[in-house]
Amino acid sequence: MAVAVVLLSGAPFHGGCCRHKVFLSLLGPLLSNSKLYSSYRRPGAEPKKKLSWQNADFSFKKSIDHLKTQLSLLTKETQDYLQGPGGHPLSQHVLEQTRVLWQFRSQEDLNKWVISSDVEIGGKSKVYIKLGRNNQAALLYGTLNTEVPRDGETKYSGYCSMRSRPAVGSFNRKKYYDWSNFNSLYLRVRGDGRPWMVNIYTDPYFSHQKDDLYSYFMFTRGGPYWEEIKIPFSKFFFSSRGRVQDNQHPVWLDKASFLTLGLTIGDKVDGPFQLEIDFIGLLNDRAHREEFAYETYDKN
Amino acid sequence: FTASLLLGTTLTISSNHWIMAWAGLEINTLAILPMISKSHHPRAIEAATKYFLTQATASALLLFSSMINAWQTGQWDITQLTNPTSCLILTSAIAMKLGLVPFHFWFPEVLQGTPLTTGLLLSTLMKFPPITLLYMTSPSLNPTVLTSMAILSTALGGWMGLNQTQIRKILAFSSISHLGWMTIIISYNPKLTLLNFYLYALMTTATFLTLHSTKASKLSTLMTTWTKAPALNAALLLTLLSLAGLPPLTGFLPKWLIIQELTKQDMA
Repeated sequence: MAVAVVLLSGAPFHGGCCRHKVFLSLLGPLLSNSKLYSSYRRPGAEPKKKLSWQNADFSFKKSIDHLKTQLSLLTKETQDYLQGPGGHPLSQHVLEQTRVLWQFRSQEDLNKWVISSDVEIGGKSKVYIKLGRNNQAALLYGTLNTEVPRDGETKYSGYCSMRSRPAVGSFNRKKYYDWSNFNSLYLRVRGDGRPWMVNIYTDPYFSHQKDDLYSYFMFTRGGPYWEEIKIPFSKFFFSSRGRVQDNQHPVWLDKASFLTLGLTIGDKVDGPFQLEIDFIGLLNDRAHREEFAYETYDKN
Repeated sequence: FTASLLLGTTLTISSNHWIMAWAGLEINTLAILPMISKSHHPRAIEAATKYFLTQATASALLLFSSMINAWQTGQWDITQLTNPTSCLILTSAIAMKLGLVPFHFWFPEVLQGTPLTTGLLLSTLMKFPPITLLYMTSPSLNPTVLTSMAILSTALGGWMGLNQTQIRKILAFSSISHLGWMTIIISYNPKLTLLNFYLYALMTTATFLTLHSTKASKLSTLMTTWTKAPALNAALLLTLLSLAGLPPLTGFLPKWLIIQELTKQDMA
């Protein structure tokens, strides 16, 4: 503030021609086209050439087609709403004990998932996904590389993951599902013996909780036989920004709106990995009575 | 916190100055927030934040309305609200406080994030002060606006509760619907509004306490409560039918009287 006063008071002494330079020096960061924050680009990130609004396609025909698609989705949603919760009759909702969420039989099923690795922070791991033999499973494979990128700030590297795309309804609105009838996650997989981490992201409403994640481990056996892994939701622990929190609580599944499931490998062992997934579903295991596996901060 | 709730409620319903009424509403809002977020679960924090934002906005609108009236007419008395702009702003403030359509979006989410006992307080005790203010100012408010909000509340409360599987959300939509019934008659016979509210509070209290004792928060759990407490389950059935307004149960009485009154006013 004092510097600005001195600069402005000094302007008349230097003459009117220098006055605009004073203003420019004060207002330079605001007037320039660069962003106010640092323009450092992480290695592995693509340089941003186009502004986001420049990617919009203003074609009239495409917009009409898009509108028709969205209206047909809206019609289907209305019909489902008339039928019952989630498009099924109420009796089915109350009585069902198993539900298949994702199964991998076609390329369309694969398109519901997104793969990523530490390339986004400059790492060297590779991950691919394709349909397995006879289109009966998804094959997630690649190579894990724990070499740390030399950018001066990253300390750890070496992860690959596969995340489901969140379900959207008509006009890109969030779809709400009620999974509270189920208490376990059921996966039919064939791994290579490496441990994986299953992550659940419940899209919270406020931005303060956007980094919250619920995770648990999935240990694969390796070998020629398929295994059916049941992970109760009571076992999922809560972490925020990658740090396991002291104050633990169970995951609520009554409003699984933008809920995404992720499978991550990051066991710090360099080398190839492979995971075949037949299907992922939900299970209501009546024998599992545990509400939450970890201690909470409730007073007794 | 319960004592603060009682203090805030008493302060609002017994005041005839707008500032005292507003102070009571603020005490109520602040007292219920720790009760909503008691479990520290992210959903409970989300419910508390949503509740605080909507109620604070409504309180601000209420104060704004009273100040406009005081500026135009010099009156701070609650029953002397005469300025049309003040009346409109107050209607929207009360609608937001109560959860009337189109300001109802917060209510199911907040109720879903709270424990059942706090949900009971939200549905009954927290509605009492705004209903009292509505009762006191009803002669000055625009009947068309109130009737439109009431009809929309009754309709949307019923339709949106159809495909719900969480009981707290169903009860939230039931509350919105009942508030519609209370609001539609307030311009013609305010005493029926109070009768409707008292009976609704009684039935809702019974429902919430039954659900709390059986620890049923979703429909699938409710399906199996008859094995644990058959008599209580039967009582819950009657209470829910009463909430629905089925004769000859108690819940039918206010609906019958309201329709009768509306018929006299050539509205039904």
